[in-house]
Amino acid sequence: MNRDSFSILGKLFLPVLILLFLSQSVFAQQVVTGTVKDAQSGEALIGASVSLKSDPTKGTITDVDGKFSLSVAQGQTLIFSYVGYVTQEYAIGQQTNISVLLDPSTEALAGVVVIGYGTQKKKDATGSVTAVSSKDFNRGSIVSPQQLLIGKASGVQITTGGGAPGEGATIRIRGGASMSASNDPLIVVDGIPLDNQGISGMRNSLNSINPNDIESFTILKDASATAIYGSRASNGVIIITTKKGVAGSKLKITYDGKVSLFTVPNSIDVLNADEYRTYYNEVYANNPNALSVLGTANTDWQSQILKSAFGHDHNLAATGSVKNMPYRASIGYSNSDGILLTSNMERYTGAISLDPTFLNNHLKININAKGMRENNRFASRGAIGSAIAFDPTQPVYTDSDRYGGYFEWLQADPTRPISIANLNPLSQLLTRYDVAGVNRFLGNVQVDYKFHFLPELRANLNVATDLSNSLGTINVADSVRQNYDIDADGNLIGGIDAEYKQQKKNELIDFYLNYVKEFGQSKLDIMGGYSWQHFYRKGNYFETNAAKTITNSDTDYESESYLVSFFGRLNYSLMDRYLLTFTLRDDGSSRFARENRWGLFPSAAFAWKIKEESFLKDVDVVSDLKLRLGYGVTGQQNITSGDYPYLARYTYSESTAQYQFGDGFVTTLRPEGYDANLKWEETSTYNVGLDYGFLDNKITGSLEYYYRFTKDLINTIPVPAGTNLTNQILTNVGNMVNQGVEFSVLGRIFSTEDLYWEVGYNVTFENNRITKLTATDDPNYKGVFVGYISGGVGNTMQIHSVGYPQYSYYVYEQVYGSDGKPIEGLYVDRNGDGVISADDKYMYHSPAPTVFMGLSTRLTYKNWDFALAGRANLGNYMYNNIDSGNGVNAYMYNTANYSTNVVQDALYTRWINPKYWSDYYIQDASFFKLDNVTLGYQFKNLASKKLDLYLSLTVMNALTITPYKGLDPEVYGGLDNNIYPRPRVFMFGVRLDY
Amino acid sequence: MKRFSKYVLLAAALVTGIASCVKDLDTVPLDKDEITSISVYENPASYIQVLAKVYAGLAVSGQQGPHGNPDISGIDEGFSTYLRQYWCAQELPTDEAVIAWNDGTLRDYQEMDWTASGEFIAAMYNRLYYQISLCNEFIRESADAKLDARGITGTDKTDIQGYRAEARFMRALSYYHALDMFGNVPFVTEEDGVGAFFPEQISRADLFAYIETELLEIEPLLPAPRTNQYGRADQAAVWSLLAKLYLNAEVYTGTAKNTECVTYCQRVIDAGFSLAPKYENNFLADNNTSPEIIFPVNFDGTFTKTWGGMTFIIHAAVGGNMVPGQFGIDGGWGGTRVTPTFVKKFYPDIEGNTVPGPVVSPKFIPKKTTYPVIYVPGSHQGWDPSNTSTVLASVNSDGKYEGYLNFAEAGTQFKFCDGPSWDVNYGDDGADGTLDRNGANIVATDAGYYKINVDLNALTYTFMKTDWGVIGSATADGWNSDQNMTFDAATGLWSVLIELKAGEIKFRANDGWDLNYGDDGANGNLEQNGANIAVPDAGTYTVTLKLGIPDYTYTIVRASYDRRAMFHTDGQNLEIQNPFAFTDGFAVTKFKNITSTGENGSDMTFVDTDFGLFRLADIYLMYAEAVLRGGTGSMTLALNLVNEIRTRAYTDESGNIAQGDLTLDFILDERARELYWEGCRRTDLIRFGKFSGGEYLWEWKGAAEKGTATDSHFDLFPIPVSDIGANPNLQQNAGYN
Repeated sequence: MNRDSFSILGKLFLPVLILLFLSQSVFAQQVVTGTVKDAQSGEALIGASVSLKSDPTKGTITDVDGKFSLSVAQGQTLIFSYVGYVTQEYAIGQQTNISVLLDPSTEALAGVVVIGYGTQKKKDATGSVTAVSSKDFNRGSIVSPQQLLIGKASGVQITTGGGAPGEGATIRIRGGASMSASNDPLIVVDGIPLDNQGISGMRNSLNSINPNDIESFTILKDASATAIYGSRASNGVIIITTKKGVAGSKLKITYDGKVSLFTVPNSIDVLNADEYRTYYNEVYANNPNALSVLGTANTDWQSQILKSAFGHDHNLAATGSVKNMPYRASIGYSNSDGILLTSNMERYTGAISLDPTFLNNHLKININAKGMRENNRFASRGAIGSAIAFDPTQPVYTDSDRYGGYFEWLQADPTRPISIANLNPLSQLLTRYDVAGVNRFLGNVQVDYKFHFLPELRANLNVATDLSNSLGTINVADSVRQNYDIDADGNLIGGIDAEYKQQKKNELIDFYLNYVKEFGQSKLDIMGGYSWQHFYRKGNYFETNAAKTITNSDTDYESESYLVSFFGRLNYSLMDRYLLTFTLRDDGSSRFARENRWGLFPSAAFAWKIKEESFLKDVDVVSDLKLRLGYGVTGQQNITSGDYPYLARYTYSESTAQYQFGDGFVTTLRPEGYDANLKWEETSTYNVGLDYGFLDNKITGSLEYYYRFTKDLINTIPVPAGTNLTNQILTNVGNMVNQGVEFSVLGRIFSTEDLYWEVGYNVTFENNRITKLTATDDPNYKGVFVGYISGGVGNTMQIHSVGYPQYSYYVYEQVYGSDGKPIEGLYVDRNGDGVISADDKYMYHSPAPTVFMGLSTRLTYKNWDFALAGRANLGNYMYNNIDSGNGVNAYMYNTANYSTNVVQDALYTRWINPKYWSDYYIQDASFFKLDNVTLGYQFKNLASKKLDLYLSLTVMNALTITPYKGLDPEVYGGLDNNIYPRPRVFMFGVRLDY
Repeated sequence: MKRFSKYVLLAAALVTGIASCVKDLDTVPLDKDEITSISVYENPASYIQVLAKVYAGLAVSGQQGPHGNPDISGIDEGFSTYLRQYWCAQELPTDEAVIAWNDGTLRDYQEMDWTASGEFIAAMYNRLYYQISLCNEFIRESADAKLDARGITGTDKTDIQGYRAEARFMRALSYYHALDMFGNVPFVTEEDGVGAFFPEQISRADLFAYIETELLEIEPLLPAPRTNQYGRADQAAVWSLLAKLYLNAEVYTGTAKNTECVTYCQRVIDAGFSLAPKYENNFLADNNTSPEIIFPVNFDGTFTKTWGGMTFIIHAAVGGNMVPGQFGIDGGWGGTRVTPTFVKKFYPDIEGNTVPGPVVSPKFIPKKTTYPVIYVPGSHQGWDPSNTSTVLASVNSDGKYEGYLNFAEAGTQFKFCDGPSWDVNYGDDGADGTLDRNGANIVATDAGYYKINVDLNALTYTFMKTDWGVIGSATADGWNSDQNMTFDAATGLWSVLIELKAGEIKFRANDGWDLNYGDDGANGNLEQNGANIAVPDAGTYTVTLKLGIPDYTYTIVRASYDRRAMFHTDGQNLEIQNPFAFTDGFAVTKFKNITSTGENGSDMTFVDTDFGLFRLADIYLMYAEAVLRGGTGSMTLALNLVNEIRTRAYTDESGNIAQGDLTLDFILDERARELYWEGCRRTDLIRFGKFSGGEYLWEWKGAAEKGTATDSHFDLFPIPVSDIGANPNLQQNAGYN
């Protein structure tokens, strides 16, 4: 047994010990039986909770017929509750058989939401918590969980990385609180906080969770909600809860199938062959060398590599209950091609969830296991850039079988391609075989024990493991253009034979105790616990040429980190009107030196249910009103520079970076830069929120304002020269402020048996300012240059600068002629020194929208339903790198003797040399997108009433309205360059319920 | 009591459990490529590996070749290497180089209008201080007290003390570059640790004194010249650096130290180095064998891969219609060329796009690639009718054949075959000048070089022995008499080494005008009675005449010329209208990834060629300059050293200069000719007061096509804004605020 598993057993031993030590006997009383039904439909409610008011830990749940049986003393009050219904109390007199009708409630306010280490009634929440459940998810051809949420919650922005199958997405909650460190929120799946490092061989590590298995997302936005996750909470928390079985329910089988057609919505406006010939002949009229390379073909390179594609997705789920053990099991299969040739994703998923209860409901066990196998083929995205730039007058294929028969640019000596010329885009895709397979297992066992001698006290143990295993290979033949190489004797020595592997093993043990007690008007809920998490990963990348005679790369890595935490929460409510929450977390991270390792993260929140006050109690128009105030401190330990940034380390050189001493080569040892004082980033958040409901909760929603101040920002900054073993170091420096207003409203316009229509809208106003950036305050210090573009080498377009939003564009102000056209190379001399130099650049807009909003509506009429979801971003600007990199004529002919295409903008500007830093290329990328339109019809009670059939038709990415000149206004980071086009998807869906 | 013990146990379990959790937080790297500082220095064998990194810091970009895991960040990794940045900073702002790339503020270098925000200047600066920090770390960790504490003794200790002196040399080298480029800079030594502090700024004069002291201190600690491993510093490296420091002392401190410069140059001269026999061998893939290189920066296509350094210098210079394979590389990057001002150091009178260079004659353009031939088997070639080198050709495909054959022996017999066999053969029965099918052998009485004509229609033939000469106004006797040429049977060429004046020549046979050749259309193709051939410049030339099988051609090649002028001119324009067009400006063929024996380097992308940071010819020129500047030394030696360099350049003494020609201005130009693209130019121009200002202009200086005056503050680079912002102790160099 190795040291690791031994210590894990040691850690498990502790909470088990606690459970074993404590036991108590049970009291017996008279038995009351009854049924619980829906007050409107009269249908029996399965799994409704029945409990004693005086002792909420005693109770039961209704069975498959809505029946229950419970020992109750006379005069005691029973509480009946069920998700989505108004909770009812029932005082027991002489009766031994009662019938209870529960009224359906407005979900938003009565629901229970999952919070960190527990659940809470939404109406008792003091923090900023948004729940999005499966019925609100985006619909359509979705294989990535993130896509379910796009546009659904205020303050949450999700940008997919492009249109590849299973593409990942960037999630920003309230804009993110960090600069260099990760801005990704913490994602917690069934109580397991995941690492956010990604998995080799997958486009998106969250893909290991099948969207069909997800029950709900809970988004914790403000510090009073997230601080319980301490050092990982600064960027918000998303809790994903998967679907479970329902106690006492019958077997129910659901099949869900989708067939999708992915189409290419549009392409980048480059010159077609005739336009190109005309312009080329004009530009190079006096250059016979240039004219000699022009071809006679007419090739639309983009349509060569972007084609319509198909995908299908099948899911089979069974839920039910065996006695006291509800279960759910599901399998899924998904396979889609991307619209960029050769890209493909195939996924198998399986999930099992078991929730048995023992000891008269005192012991609940929850077991979740999710397994996944994903096979990917990756298409080289460089082919998109090549297709834009490839000369349209050249043919796709040649008569020669050299280079696989594809046309390629060759040196005068045809045994060598021109190394700096574009590759044939089609060859770039078809001759590269880049595949990966990933297995992942995510499992946990959660044991929840309610103490017999003290039912107010409950212990909860969660043990989880997250394993993944990736194997990828890349093969490129030595006879084709990419990676082509020959030695002096003419032998082929190029091509690629590469293999990469990764193993990840993350483990978690959480334990907490929870004590809930009511004292008259007061209610106290205290929770305290600890958590231990271990993150481990190991992998390598080995690359040789195709003949395996030359090793190009042989790297391996192995790393780990630990996080140990103690946490506690106190909820106090008075008269069910005044709610107070305090949380505290003490986190220790192995990524920092011993002295800086521990961080304390407190939060406090207060909520006032105004509606419960006497002056509002009888105002019918207001059905709900709650004010929330919160403050908290959270941290950020997800730094981007490895697991040992504080430690003095040395690194060996690879075999290709040795140095010659005499006749031999010496492997070198390099001291690494480090910051022994590196510590947590701290974010303080103030939050004011107002939850409202009007007209019997027909209109509900909330309004929030937040102010976030991040200090000790983990940022990569220049070190004072000579003081460290690097020129830039990750350290704690700088401050940043984020503030915003979020508003959401949900209106149920009709809510009758036949007609249901709701409209939801959310809007977020966001503002980000860097307030401090360096250790010293130098007014001449411009900032940190970021945002590398394509074109030239190492050119940056953005800056982090004090007083401006992060990632502001840093460019020259273009001068325009009287015809409104930009004049090449003419910029405004902003500092008035008579010359145009780098000092004339200025901050000009940023990629972040100042306002973004989501709009969705759902209409059900009898068996028909119709849903629509759209989004808008305003005030976001984009650097059009496609135009700036392909919009001038100087390089249409390269003296190495090949030609490249240009975009239509080149005909407009007629510029000669690249002018990357002209603000002409910074373009308004505000947009409205109609993300998805769905029409469905439900056939009920088919096949002797055993079967329901639901058919639907969905169009995704239906419409985009934008002033932006490029292909797609939505590119995370604001640098538009080689985006994988997002397809327009037409999907047909079938669901069968048995 | 029972309950009490339960809680004690529970508490004990809690404490134990939590303690074990908390202990997990003490982690050490798992990766076998990463080790902690402590374990590195406990092992005596590690020290040389850390030292190797100090040296490699000049060459590679990081711990993976060619890229990945970089040493410094904030700039593209390929650009980030020490040598590449050093080259750009020293060459691009001068008359020696322009670059076609428009990356970031790169163009500011050649336009001499940089600011403190330029990322390339920052990259140079960051490289210097990265290197200084590496050295400081090693010097700190190899101090005697630390070695003693670690129990390192004996030869291990002695070796490490030697390494430490080398690290001090490497630090002095980078501080010298800092002194030269940035002047007043932050000052850190091994006394300062690694961490957050603000180094003090040292004045240029104080830094000069520090470097001088360091070098003098370590001089006795380093191995004698040429006794250390190749690639590592020895005493000659120290002397070379001292010489450079002293030569520029007036710039750095206001006080000249020319005598000191002479002293240390003399030591290097006496150290046993010698000039490589061929100039170009210093810049080839096997230049590690050159006896001239005193201190190199090493590269290797297999083991020391980088996108910077020599990979950059060689690839960037290749573009246009240059054939990459001729440079041992797989493709050019089309970047760097030279200005016309620089070309004029070699060719003062060059105008327009005239191609200068050793070959004066026009490029030969054949009229057709193949002609019908008949074969001439005979005793001169073993009676082989299929020998394709002894044929006559019919230029007009009219049955009339002609050509030249060399009959080495008197009484040579031969026949004519229509086809490469005896099937159809002609001799001459009766030696009457008419051909007879299967006739008797034809006999040439004398040995010699014969012109032979055959008319298969008329079945006639003639043959005539010829001797060739050059005649014309360019020759010593004008149009009066020939200068005889000699025939080389091995090459089949007539040639003569001859002094020519500017003028005209023709070729004629047998001292008469009956058979003479000129060149109509100046296309290299000789015609009977053709036009006179122009010789543009006076000089010593090798004139060759190629007759044999038509077409006939000739070359006129300068025998005495400066072989350091290594330009590619075909397809290039001399003038630079557009600095971003590779074809504007002559390209340079000086550096190659090909060995002196013509073999390719070990890789076609990454090169084997090393960079000679200090080279003996530089020391020679420094000696001469220091003497001219008043340093105590031998003027005779100065002249001899310069002439030694020039004799190598011209391969004879024709380029040698007289004492009176040896002036400072000559030295500056000679340094350009000898040392161009070797990273000296910026420093040289500043020392001569010709860098900034308007006294000396070249193309695109000050962003003007023909060059314009610039402000003197450009003599120093600015301290990058990033460091001004990071270190409040720093004052910006004058002119940059």
